Amino acid sequence: MAAGEGRFDAAITGLGMVTPAGNGASPTWERLCAAEATCAGPVAALEGGEVAFGARVPDFDPVAAIGRRKAWRLDRHNQLALAAAAEALADSGLDPATWDGARVGVVLGVGLGGAATWETQHRKLLEHGPESISPMLIPMLVCNMSAGHIAMEYGAMGPNLVTATACSSGTTAIGTARDLLRSGACDVVVTGGTEACVVPSIAGGFARMGALSRHSADPAVASRPFDVHRDGFVLAEGSAVLVLERPEDARARGARVRALVSGYGASADAHNPTAPDPEGRGAELAVRAALRDAGVAPQEVAHVNAHGTSTPLNDAAEARLIRRVFPHQPPVTSVKGVLGHTLGAAGAIEAAAAALSLEHSFVPPTANLESQDPEIDLDVVRKEGREGPLSTVVSNSFGFGGQNAVLLLSKA
Amino acid sequence: MSDVYARFVDLLVTGFGAEAGEVSESTTFMDLELDSLALVELTMAAQQEFGVPIGDDELRAEDTMAHVAKVIEAKLVEV
Repeated sequence: MAAGEGRFDAAITGLGMVTPAGNGASPTWERLCAAEATCAGPVAALEGGEVAFGARVPDFDPVAAIGRRKAWRLDRHNQLALAAAAEALADSGLDPATWDGARVGVVLGVGLGGAATWETQHRKLLEHGPESISPMLIPMLVCNMSAGHIAMEYGAMGPNLVTATACSSGTTAIGTARDLLRSGACDVVVTGGTEACVVPSIAGGFARMGALSRHSADPAVASRPFDVHRDGFVLAEGSAVLVLERPEDARARGARVRALVSGYGASADAHNPTAPDPEGRGAELAVRAALRDAGVAPQEVAHVNAHGTSTPLNDAAEARLIRRVFPHQPPVTSVKGVLGHTLGAAGAIEAAAAALSLEHSFVPPTANLESQDPEIDLDVVRKEGREGPLSTVVSNSFGFGGQNAVLLLSKA
Repeated sequence: MSDVYARFVDLLVTGFGAEAGEVSESTTFMDLELDSLALVELTMAAQQEFGVPIGDDELRAEDTMAHVAKVIEAKLVEV
C-alpha cells in the first residue's frame, strides 16, 4: 500500500514464546515482570571459553515439544521455532486442518541458523573426513529452514521466508509479515524469530570482538542494560512466534486480538559493520518511519521497549535517539536484563513482550539496573514494573550491518 | 529374534525417532517416516554400530527390519 492510503493494523491473534525464562509465553511474561535474570551461570557447552556463561532455554525437551519423528532431525533453532509456533497457533484458535493453506504465509527472523549442527559436523570432518558428514547438515544448518518446517507442519503454502538482519531479524520478519497482510498476499501470517547459538564458536567470536559481558563472577547480573557498569551482552537463545491476521478477519471469527501491529520502519546506519552510529541517526530514521507508517505522533507513544543490549555503545546511542525523538520521556525498558540477547529472535520476543505490556497495562522493569548511566537521560523502569493503561508501544531492534527495524504496536 | 535385530531397533529408538513399541520385524523404514536422507544417516550409524561396510543405497524405504537384520548378519559372517 502506498504512503497516504491510511493506517493498516495487523491483529496479533496468537502468541508463543520459548525463552530462557521458560517454555511458554506465560512463564516468560511472569519472569519479565519479576525482573529475575535467567543467566544463572556457566553453560556446559561453553566450558573453557573466554566467556563461558549464557542463557539457554531450561528443560526444553524436543521430543515432548515437537514429537519424536522430527526432534532428531532438526537443529535446535528449528525445534524452538516449532515449539513457539505450536503455542501461537493453539492460542490463535485457527485450525490448520481446515484453513486455506495457500493464503497462509510464514516469515521468521534468524540471525545465524544451525550453528550447533555446523560445529558438530565440522568436528567430524576434521576428525574422520568428509564421508563422516551427516546428510542432514545442510537442512539443519541453512537459516531459512525454520519457516519451511512451520509450513510443512501446518500446510502453510503461501509466501515462506526467513529475514536475516542480524539482531533485527525478528522485527524485520514481523514487519514483512504485516506487509504480506496489507498487500493482500496472505490472510494469515505466522511470524517471529528463532535462534540457538549458545555454542563455543559463536560465543568465542562475540567474546573476541568485545561484545559479551565479562561478569563471570556473578553471571546473573551480567546483563544490565543502561547501567553505568554495563560491559556487554549475555548470549542467549529462544524463539517467539506471532499469528497475524486482518482485524476484520479476526473479528469475523470471534478471535481474541491480543494487540495490533500498527507501524513498521526500517533503515540502515551506513556507518560501520558492527558499531552503531554513535548518535543513532540511522536508527532514528527507522523509529520515525514506524511512527509515520502508523500515523502516530511521537508524543502519543506511551512506552519504548528498547533494544537495550547492555553493551556500552548500543545503550548510549539508543538512549540519545530515544531522548531526541521522544522528549516527553515515556517509560523505557529492556527485557535483555532478564533474557540476555537472543540475537535473531530478540525482536520477535520483544514484540511479544510489547504486546503483553499493552494487554496487561504493565511495563516490566529492566533487570539489574542498579546505577543508571548518568549519560543516559531516560525514564528507564527499574526495580518495580510500571502499571497503567498503555495505548502505543515502540519496539526497537538494531543489528550488525547497521540494520535497524522498529515496530509500533497498539492496544487492541 | 537375533541380537543384530535388537541392536538395530535400539539404534532406531535412540537416534532416529522410533518408539520401542512400534517396531516389529515387518515394520518398514517408510512406516517410521525415514526418508532417503534419513536412511543415509542411518547407514552411517549402522556401519559404526556393526563395523561392516553398508552402501548408501543398501537401505531402502520399503525394507523391513527383518530383512535389514538378515543383510547385516550376512555381512558380519563375511567379515
